[in-house]
Amino acid sequence: MARYAHPKAMSSSKPARTRTAPPQLPDQFPFEGRYRAYTLFDATGILYLMLGFLALGTIWSLGSGEEAWKGVQIIYRSWVYVAFHALSLAAVIFVGIRFFGFFPKAQPPRIGPLKPPPQPVILAMLYVAWIGVAGAMTVILAGGIF
Amino acid sequence: MRGLLLKLEPLIWLMFGQGLLIGTMLLTGWVLVAGLGVPLGVVPAEALSYERAHMLGSSPIGRVVLLGLIALPMWKGVHHIRHLCIDFGGAHRDAVVAPLLYLTASVGSLLAVVAVVRL
Repeated sequence: MARYAHPKAMSSSKPARTRTAPPQLPDQFPFEGRYRAYTLFDATGILYLMLGFLALGTIWSLGSGEEAWKGVQIIYRSWVYVAFHALSLAAVIFVGIRFFGFFPKAQPPRIGPLKPPPQPVILAMLYVAWIGVAGAMTVILAGGIF
Repeated sequence: MRGLLLKLEPLIWLMFGQGLLIGTMLLTGWVLVAGLGVPLGVVPAEALSYERAHMLGSSPIGRVVLLGLIALPMWKGVHHIRHLCIDFGGAHRDAVVAPLLYLTASVGSLLAVVAVVRL
């Protein structure tokens, strides 16, 4: 039965005779050049985690009754929460643009017997889905339909 | 623990990927309306009145959407925070940091299931 490969399975069993320099961080890491976008992309994870737990608290209060829900609505009106959500919106849009930008390039040449669509088509499909889902959610939550 | 993380890698990457893809799509509308529109008065408060919010959230589709909205961003979040910790603090603490982060996302996801079930 196949086993999982050990992460260091390909390293030599004894120290190599050729000395190598210890690994070093690139000069531009973490906030210069192309590392700025890389670091910011990872840092959005903090906001995503906070948004997830904030949404959890919000939906939990919705299940706790009208008073709890109204309490959350009042908290959401404070400038701290508004500023947090403004920053979060910027982060979400940044993640979307960056992730959808490299998603088509990360596709394999073949998926089984099929070839994936051309990269511009994949990119267009992602943007249509994003705008569609976000638009539908915005209209529904804002009371446009239902 | 490292072996367990390697075994769970496909599941972790699935949740992380969906957090990036679906989480981003869902969060855009949620933050626009619930986080900014209603608090700033751009969207009337009645749009998210208790009765309407409960009606939307307690429908079968509403529960699934809310579950995705809560749980998926958590997985994207913890996976990227793990990589931030590796980049800034080195990989030697990853054996402790990674399980803690994924445990956080797992507990959050379980609570999300409870939250949408009790609506």
